[in-house]
This record gives sequence, C-alpha cells and structure tokens, in this order.
Amino acid sequence: MEFYTQNGNKRPIRLSEKTRKFAYDSLNRKYGLDTLKTNAVELDYIKDCKFFSDLELHDIAIQEIAAKAPIRICDGEKISGAATLGMAIQHKIPATYQGKSLWSSNSHLTADFETVLKKGINYIRSNAEAAYEKYLGTEKEQFSKSCLHCLDAFSLWHSRYIEKLSELPDYRENYQALKRVPFEPATNFYEAVQSLWFTFAFIRLCGNWPGIGRIDYLLGDYLKRDLENGTLSIDMAREILAHFFIKGCEWVNGQFIGSGDAQHYQNILLAGIDENGDEITNEVTYLVLDILEELGISDFPTTVRVNQNTNEKLLRRVAEVMRYGGGILAVYNEDLIIQALIKDGYEEREARKFANDGCWEVQIPGKTFFIYSPFDSLQILQRKTLRGYEETVLFSDFEDLYTHFKTDLFTYVEEIFKSREKKFVRPVDPAKNFKWATQPPCTVVSLFEQGCVEKGLSYLEGGPVYNINSPHIGGFADVVNSLYVIKKLVYDEGKLTLQEFLKILKDNWEGNEVLRQYVLNHYEYYGNDNDEVDAIAARLLSDFADICVSFNGKCGYKFPAGVSTFGRQLEWADKRLASPHGRKVGDVLAANCSPTPNTDKEGATAIINSYCKADLSKLATGAALDIKLLPSSVEGEDGLQGLISLIRGFVALGGFFMQPDVVDASILKEAQKHPENYQTLSVRVSGWNARFVTLNKEWQNMVIEQNEH
Amino acid sequence: MLKVTEIQRFCMHDGPGIRTTVFLKGCPLKCKWCHNPETKKTQSELLFYSNRCIFCKSCELSCAYMVHTVNEEHLLERSRCVICNDCANNCPTGAIEICGKEMSIEDILSVVKKDLAFYGDNGGITLSGGEPFMQGDAVIDLLKICKELGISTAVETCGYCDIGILKSAIPFVDLFLWDIKDTDIKRHKYYTGVSNKRILENLSYVSKSGAKIQLRCILINGINTEKEHYEKIADIAGTISNLDCVKLIPYHAYGGTKSILLGENDNGKMEWIPDTSQVELAKQIINSKGIKTL
Repeated sequence: MEFYTQNGNKRPIRLSEKTRKFAYDSLNRKYGLDTLKTNAVELDYIKDCKFFSDLELHDIAIQEIAAKAPIRICDGEKISGAATLGMAIQHKIPATYQGKSLWSSNSHLTADFETVLKKGINYIRSNAEAAYEKYLGTEKEQFSKSCLHCLDAFSLWHSRYIEKLSELPDYRENYQALKRVPFEPATNFYEAVQSLWFTFAFIRLCGNWPGIGRIDYLLGDYLKRDLENGTLSIDMAREILAHFFIKGCEWVNGQFIGSGDAQHYQNILLAGIDENGDEITNEVTYLVLDILEELGISDFPTTVRVNQNTNEKLLRRVAEVMRYGGGILAVYNEDLIIQALIKDGYEEREARKFANDGCWEVQIPGKTFFIYSPFDSLQILQRKTLRGYEETVLFSDFEDLYTHFKTDLFTYVEEIFKSREKKFVRPVDPAKNFKWATQPPCTVVSLFEQGCVEKGLSYLEGGPVYNINSPHIGGFADVVNSLYVIKKLVYDEGKLTLQEFLKILKDNWEGNEVLRQYVLNHYEYYGNDNDEVDAIAARLLSDFADICVSFNGKCGYKFPAGVSTFGRQLEWADKRLASPHGRKVGDVLAANCSPTPNTDKEGATAIINSYCKADLSKLATGAALDIKLLPSSVEGEDGLQGLISLIRGFVALGGFFMQPDVVDASILKEAQKHPENYQTLSVRVSGWNARFVTLNKEWQNMVIEQNEH
Repeated sequence: MLKVTEIQRFCMHDGPGIRTTVFLKGCPLKCKWCHNPETKKTQSELLFYSNRCIFCKSCELSCAYMVHTVNEEHLLERSRCVICNDCANNCPTGAIEICGKEMSIEDILSVVKKDLAFYGDNGGITLSGGEPFMQGDAVIDLLKICKELGISTAVETCGYCDIGILKSAIPFVDLFLWDIKDTDIKRHKYYTGVSNKRILENLSYVSKSGAKIQLRCILINGINTEKEHYEKIADIAGTISNLDCVKLIPYHAYGGTKSILLGENDNGKMEWIPDTSQVELAKQIINSKGIKTL
C-alpha cells in the first residue's frame, strides 16, 4: 500500500492499517464506482410536472433525493454520510424527469459551516421559520417555504442514517457522533468533524460542490477542549480527521476522461489570523498536514495562509509536505490579501475571515455569491487590436498600440459586465434601482449562505451578504511578452515595421526561423526579473484592475479583477495565432500569472520577483502563480530551507497566491506509459487539479510540456 | 574586475538557504573529472552549442577573423578567435556564447541583490568556480561589501591558494566550502595536477582561525571510493574546530557535455559514477566517527 510521491521519498506512517486501507481503496475508486451505480432519483411518478412551479418541483426532487439516495456505510468508516448519486459528480442536481436532468447546481462557494458547527441546523431552521412567517403572502413566500422543505429533507436523510447506524453494532461510535449533529451544536471534536462532513455531504448529495474553508479554525477549539479534558488522544483525533479526508474521495471514479476528475472544489484553508488579528494555527492545522503527508490525497486542494510572522515550525511542516509533490499545498500571502479586500470595500475584521471559492479566488466564507468571467486577453490583442494580422494597422508608437489595446480590453470587460448584468439584475427605475432577477432553484446552498434565508432571496438572486462577479484575465504572460517584443523589435530597434512583422506572424513564422530564434533567445521575458518587460506586466494588471473597478457600484454586485486560466490555456493553444515572442500556433500558453513555458531561465526567485512587481493588492479575487520545482532542487535539509525561504520571500515581496509544485516531467511520461502504476498521481495547475491518469493523451502531453524544465 | 562565467540564482545546494552562486573563471587544479571545465582556464573561451545551430551563417558573416565556416557542417578555428563577441551577438539561436565576462563588483552585486528578499538569515552569495581566491583582492572586496550589506557569504575553494589571500578573506566568509578531492597524496597529484600538501596546510590554518568550514568531498568510483579515504576524511574533519558538516558529492558526468562545448574531448566517464551503496558506506564510516554528513 504505497501512496504516490514525486520525490521518491517514502511517506511517513502514523495512521492505523485499517484507515490506510480505507484510504487506499477510496483513492483506487472503490466508492467512486459505487457512486456511479445510482445516477439520480426519478420524478416520473409525477404525472404532470407543469402543475408545480419550478421551485416546488425542485423541493420535491430534494425530498426525493433525501428519501431515496442509497445509504452507504463504508467498511470501517468513522464518519458517516455519503453523496451517493452519480449525477452530482456532473455538477447537476441528481433528479431526472423522463430521463432528463432538470437543473444545474452550484459551486465556487464556501458554505457557512461555522454556524452549522456552533449553532446547529436547528438555528438555521428557526431563522427559516421566522422568515417564512415574515414573508407569508409576499412573493418571497415560496422561497422561504422551499428553505423549510429542504431542511425537512436534510432531517429525513439524517434519520435514515441514524436508523441504519443504530442497527449496526460495529458502528456504535458513528451512531453516537451523528445522533445530535448537525442539528444541535457540536460538543466535541468527533461530533464537530461528523457535523462538518454530514452537512458537506448533504450539500454535495444535492449536486453542489462547496468548499470547506478554514478547517483548523472551525475544528480547533473542539480538539483543544477534548485534549485538555483527556477525552481524546491526538492519535485518535488524527484517525477521525483522516476519515473526513478519505470520505472526500468518494467521487473518484476515473471515468471523467478529458480534463481530469479530481476537481470538485472542496477546498480547504489552513492557518492565518482570525477576525481579531490573532494567529489561529492549532493542533488541527498540524493534523491536516500529517494526513496530507501520509495519504497524498489531492481531492481537497489545500492552501496555507501565510504572513510575515508565520512561525518556522508551521512553514517547515508545509515545506515538508510540499516536497512530496502533486501540488497538494499552496500558500496565500494574507498580509497582501487582507489589504486587497479592504481596498475592495470590506471591513478589516471581515477581510481577515477570507477563505476561497473552491479554486483560489478569495471570498468571505458563508456570505458570498461568487461567479467569475474568464477571458483570454491574448485573443483580444491578436484578433481585435492587431485585427487577426489580416488588415493594415497603424500605430504611431508603442504607447499608441498599448492605448488601443487598453481600449479593446475595456470594451471586452464592459461586454462581460453588461451580459452578466442582464442575467442577474432587472432595472426597476433606469436611474439606479434594480431588482435581482429570478434564477433556477438553489435552495440547498442558500441555506448555508448568510443573508439568503433572512432576506428571502436565494443564493443566485442577491441573497448573500456579498455578491461578486469577477472578470478574470487570461493570457497574461503571453500578452505581456507579445507587447514587449513588438516594442523592442519594431519601435525601439526598428528591425522591421509592424506590418512586416504581422505578416510573418500571419504565416506562422514560416520561412523566418532566424528571426524567430532571435526573439526567442535575445530577449528576457516576463519571469526573468527584467524590469523593462515586468513594467509592462505591472501596467497591464493595474490598468485591467482599474477598468474593472470603474464598473463597481453600477449594479448589485461587486466587480473585482482577478487573473486566471486554470486549465483553459491548454484548450486555447490551438486557437491562437502565432505570437511575437516566437510562439507558433499550437505551442503551449502561459498559465495564470506564470511565465510562458520555456521562457523563464533565471529560476523561481526571478519568477516571483517579476510577478511581485505588479501591485497585486488591486486584484481582489486573486492572481495565482505556479512554480515548478524539480524534486532534486528541494532535496535534503538545504532544499527544505530553500523552500521555506522561497515562501518567506514571496510574502515579503507582496505575492498573492503561490502554488509550488514539485514535479518531474520524466515521471509524468512514465505515468503516461504505465497508468496502472500511477493511479493516485495528481497534477496541479493552480485552481485546477487532476489525477494524471484520468486525462486524455492530449491533455497529458500538454501537462508534460508545461512541466518540462 | 572579476572574471565570471555565470551567475546562477536560486541555488539550493551551495550552502544554506537560497543562494546566488557566482562562478569565477580560472583554477590552479586540473582535475581529470572536472565538473565545470569551462572555469578551468583564466582566459575567456568560446562555447559552441552545436545542437542549437541552424546553419544561418550569421556568425560567419559577422566574424572578422574567419573562426566560423558554415556549410553542411559548422566548423570552428578556435585558435584564430580573439573573443570579440561579434558572433555571439549575431547568433540568433544562442548557439555561440562567450564564457568568461569581466564584471565589476557593482555588476555582480546588482544581480546578487535581486534576491535579497529570499536570503533570510542564512541564504546569500556563494563564490564558486574555478577557484575564487585566484582572482585576488577583488574577491576580498566583493566579500567585504556583501558582509556590509548583510548578505551571508560562502566560498567554495579547492584550498590551493595563496595563504595571504586566505588570511584576508577569513573575516568576510561565513562558510568555507572546502574541497577535499582526495586524501592520497600520489593520487591527488596524478588526478588534479597538484599535491594536497598545501591544501591541507591552508585548511589547518583557516580551521585554527575558527572559521566555519564544510568539507566537500567528491566520490569517484574506482579512484577514491575506498575505506581508507573515508576514514581520512573523517580524521581531517575531526581536526576542524568549527565544522559545518561533510558533504559527499557523488561524481556525475555532466561536466563532459561542457567540455564538448569548449571543443575538447568529453571528459565525462560513466564508470566514475559511484553507486548509492558506495555513498552510503562513505556516510556510514564518516558518521561512525561522530562526523555529520549532508
């Protein structure tokens, strides 16, 4: 029973053999395949579904899911509850009518587990009952009723588990732990973990993919109390918590060939300060690191909130776990992020609570509706500003070209704003007022987002305290490098005219290999700590952020800027024209805030320097940087110290999010040849992760290319 | 001015923390297994990466000394080369590089300072090569300024150098990375061109000063992979008053690829690579004498 590593070092063993076996089976798809056996509940028994409103039909579906979803108690599990309907893995509410799915579901949100643990579902229920009374006879009545229906469904599902567990003598502990929670507040660590898991599982059962949030913050006090009382040992606590992580692999099925199957946005954050500014790192923080280190589970992308005062002990553990590879751990620089959120209008105490949406976009957990609008700025530069290289374009100088590009960028962002506005908001009086538009049913997630129940508005209809629509710029490094080469070659050095250059690009560099080699080898691109090109990068991000901010306050949601491609750059590569920095059609593109592959020649510190020259605090939802490290470079005590220094430097320089990944392309190639030996090997481009063997060949090749040093 | 072959940032294994390693040109030793053959000679040299050449003739056209002849093959007449840099500047693919650049202390510092945020308490600059102390007072000046800037300093030395230079360096070096190529006098002379007598005397002097020293010991299969050598390493280490540790460096053949770039024969030998059991044995023997290895 070996859990996969990139650096070849054996993972330590702290968990019981039984727990390790459970993890091994889960990672090897045992429960994922079981989940596929029952796809969805069928509503065909309803003769005429038009008799019901969409929301009423939805409530029936949720009731049906709670009543009919198979109950699964895994062999030896310590934590119970399972999202056992296959359609949920497709990001849909698992209910069909005449064979067709009815509704999509929601993700990119972190549910309000704090209220669940501390106050219990009954507290949410009493709020929902009060809201129902309040909105009786109004247009909000139906949503309020739907909240109660979904809470009934949750109770029903819970009672089925309680009944089942009570019949199984080997599961007395599970029964005890689940008996009161999540309806009552948790009173100890075991109950708290069970409460968290069971609620998470129910939300997932209904098709949604929520993030977990700050698990050490949520669970730390319970563990502290139990350890002080002597009612629980730290080893036992690790076992219990490990089952939470193992249960999180219940959707691993290897069936989703294409863009990978390990991505269900069940993100976790560790460490950092609380709303009062006190560091929260506690025993749970270290238990999570122990578990990730031992089992290598990549299904909960985990990010550590680091600040200038983060202690050496924590950073050391983080670096140790990172070294096994697979990109399981990333870091946030919370010093900068809290600043960014304050700049974006949040109260400081609120900003300090940040978690993320399931990738790495920052949000306040349990209070935020989040949607992002990704686009490729390279496409804008190529197709709009440079007219697809088809027409004559005239710019008096580089400034003129840049200004045109900025205008095109503005137009595109404005289009995003308008199209989203049209979808979510209806103007009441054209001057200012608006009303949230009616959206598909989403009551289950609404229960766990503060504001929805009270306001009588769903998650998608402006219910949450904060509503975010974040445009995400892609193609960042490729645009910066493109602009830089045009500046140097055409305007500074005058080697050729723009028109001549664009003709060469239109021909995909055909017959111009000498020039292509020249631009590939004679310029230092973004990621090499060259001030001239980095200034273009900083300017682009700053201008983009300003464009986004200019739309703030124009409707019901905030419009903060972010940078991302996730895995999209892999799909874009074939559709982009040749680029000025020597790239031919189809060549790999840059990911997120990372340099264009193969252009970074100075190593990780230079990349971080380049990235940090931009004012990243203007990008309130985030700017992710991926750093690839060879296993050999982080070997030994030297390597460990180096990795710690790298994180410290990243924080000192004002980075936002960094995903260091220890990866060796030759290992990926081996995995491509012998997938059977690499079932659990995970690969990560920040915000996007996958089990390598579940990618199709083209995706695998692209990932290998991005990882070649 | 210092003659530099390369400045490498983000080095994790040239001393503690993240380091910027400055490789200096010129070495008094002529080790047959040299890992960095481009740093042996003091003079600048031309490196030719034949796999990058696209036969565009840019070099031939730009060279006033007819060093390059490019037809189906790219031929070099290195003896005519005056290191004027014209070919390298005009080569589009980076196939030609001039190795060995005169750099002022300010030039070097401007690169070293770029990673200040990453050095923390223990990272910093490492001088390597080549033999840094061959470049005399400029090296001392560089080290001194680094210390003034609060940048930690390490110097990798073969130890075969002027004692006067060493003496003046001691106050400005936080860590000496001291090479022990071999402990057998005859073998040392045969394989490196010099006797190890002076190296050990210098080591003893530096050690007595209380300077922190890491011994770096290359292990070359069939040459020094024997018990006696490991024991002697441990003995030497035992005499050092402020020993960091002994770092065992298994020979690798990558140096060979660089000798080809210089137009020399491949000096890399696969049979010299020790297997892990040999490295383990060395570790065991050295550790058994109470000496820490890395």
